[in-house]
Amino acid sequence: MPLNIYQEATGHPLSNIKHVIAVAAGKGGVGKSSVTVNLALALKRLGYHVGVMDADIYGPSARKMLPEDRIPSQKGAIIQPALCQGIHMISMAYFRKEHEAAAIRAPIANGIITQFIQNVAWGPLDYLLIDFPPGTGDIQLTLSQQANLAGAIMVTTPQEVSVIDVRKAMHLFEQVKVPIIGIVENMSYYRHSPTDENIYLFGKGGGERLAREAGVPLLEMIPIDPCLCYSGDKGHSIFAAENTEADSIAKVFIALAKRVIEHMAMMKVQSGEGQTNFEIHWKEMT
Amino acid sequence: MRERLPAAAVQNIKQKNNHAFTIEWSDGLVGDYRLSDLQKCCPCANCTDETTGKRLVDEKSIKHDVKAIRIVSVGRYALRVQFTSGCSTGIYDFDMLYKMARG
Repeated sequence: MPLNIYQEATGHPLSNIKHVIAVAAGKGGVGKSSVTVNLALALKRLGYHVGVMDADIYGPSARKMLPEDRIPSQKGAIIQPALCQGIHMISMAYFRKEHEAAAIRAPIANGIITQFIQNVAWGPLDYLLIDFPPGTGDIQLTLSQQANLAGAIMVTTPQEVSVIDVRKAMHLFEQVKVPIIGIVENMSYYRHSPTDENIYLFGKGGGERLAREAGVPLLEMIPIDPCLCYSGDKGHSIFAAENTEADSIAKVFIALAKRVIEHMAMMKVQSGEGQTNFEIHWKEMT
Repeated sequence: MRERLPAAAVQNIKQKNNHAFTIEWSDGLVGDYRLSDLQKCCPCANCTDETTGKRLVDEKSIKHDVKAIRIVSVGRYALRVQFTSGCSTGIYDFDMLYKMARG
């Protein structure tokens, strides 16, 4: 007889969160974590309550970019998330030293993700951004099945090699009926300041083509910016730095945040109020 | 790219009687699902061979009066039934259920 997979639950563990959004690519190295962290900071800046779940068990990098003011704590089975500049965050990085690899097999990694979903006391949030790991495997499926995702933001870089993998991840979301909010093209261009010319180091138009092909909006094109790279490495917020370079990239993320909010609202209207999160306890009827 | 969202969403789901439940779809279609019928096409690995699609459970062994203990949603795309017979891992996607209702 198969094992009983159900656990007693009183409502969905993420039911206090208005919008759970996946930030995904299917591919590594396109800047999912950078987009997640800076989008979270931008949403916070706009006055929303925000959380970040770094679901990259094998290569967590969100902690480096967004260092904590308060580390996570655990009481019984419940984990209080870290607090980082007002953003709630959970990441495997809190449970390993920075240089240590998480040499664990998929079922264990999957169990950790399930704990992140079910046992973290996020509290009421407007947005929970889930920084997806690369690939379209076990962890991505678990998140799609359990995390009550309202939609997914796809991050790509302009070149075709990146777009191919992002298409695969979009296909996964298509299969599990998670709507795509839109495409973010990262590392789109470099602004050569002496001439004010945009230089398209990785080619041009990959994000736009993908958006057109999928019938979803291109939410933003994020330039290659040394200030963004420096802020990430140092764990400084682009919103706290007082220089024109930081100000310019901060504006890009504020624009992205506003478009995400706008498209989430539109998607809610279009999809109506269908039930996607239900549980029926069978009763004896006479 | 293929259609990204289900043709219709689950508007309402409720227990109909001891052996069936009803789904009202967002386009107005209403489908009644008898649990024994669902178990006969259970897509879990214990009931269906993943590679060949061949049924591994004899239909005759499935009781007509099988009941559920619980029905829960799986993500935004499916539901899972915990049958009283013990089978509880099959994921019934909404597309499949919608097609069953449409006949």
